Amino acid sequence: MGITDTSQIKDNLVGELPENWLIHGPKKRLVSAFHWHKPKVGVVASYTPNENDVEDHFDIFRGVDMIESFAQATVVAAATFLESKKQDMVPEELSKLLIPTFISLGNVFFHSYLEKGQTFVNIGFIKFYKWRQMVCEGRIYRAPKGLDLDAYFKDFDEERLKNYDIGEGFVLIAELFDITGRGIKKEMFEKLQ
Amino acid sequence: MERQEIIDGLVEVLRTVRTVDPAKLENVTEETDFLTDMNTPSTELINIAAKVEQKFNVEFEDEDIDELGSKVKDIVDLIIKAKERENS
Repeated sequence: MGITDTSQIKDNLVGELPENWLIHGPKKRLVSAFHWHKPKVGVVASYTPNENDVEDHFDIFRGVDMIESFAQATVVAAATFLESKKQDMVPEELSKLLIPTFISLGNVFFHSYLEKGQTFVNIGFIKFYKWRQMVCEGRIYRAPKGLDLDAYFKDFDEERLKNYDIGEGFVLIAELFDITGRGIKKEMFEKLQ
Repeated sequence: MERQEIIDGLVEVLRTVRTVDPAKLENVTEETDFLTDMNTPSTELINIAAKVEQKFNVEFEDEDIDELGSKVKDIVDLIIKAKERENS
């Protein structure tokens, strides 16, 4: 049962079910939880690669899937949240009007890799948001095993976000720049063919 | 504000856009096309629109950008429309 009324939409995405905000199917949803979110500033969201994610790929989570996970956590979820608030529309309704689309990717640097079962956090910073286009940059870190990420990021803030101040035990996996996406009207999207 | 005045201001903005070749800015007319004449990547139009908003102190709406054409006259029309919208 998704979000059926905009009154159910809180001030941020923390504690929200990703499936309510990332409308594509479960197999392609690469975000499991939102741990911190300040609507026009940034977001922290985690994911743990499963058997399906690493199948046929040396039990390793692919780099392109990391980019997709980061984009879902930041550009898609954060922009959908802002647009839902702006248009006073629940995400399900919004997804009938707009299609979240990749526009461009900047530089992405991989420092390490992720295996099945290794929880990571996407830490994304919103650099631009206008006309349904969002540009994010950020990092992916492998989280310490078993850490309660909700508790850990409860007191996170904008300053710590900008400095990637996340403390010991997190391992830098990737840095991502100018990850750009836009909500394109469905009728315009269909004309791109 | 005269259309030519707007075009002159637009050219100033375009000089600050890294992906626009300065040589293409020599004789910009209303019919000049950002994509085909200036080889500007389509992904750059949003960046140009954001700079134009600041330069001319206007505000564009989502629909303005959705429907924006890629010729100079399209942006000139939009600037005029946005100014009229604000004054109405």
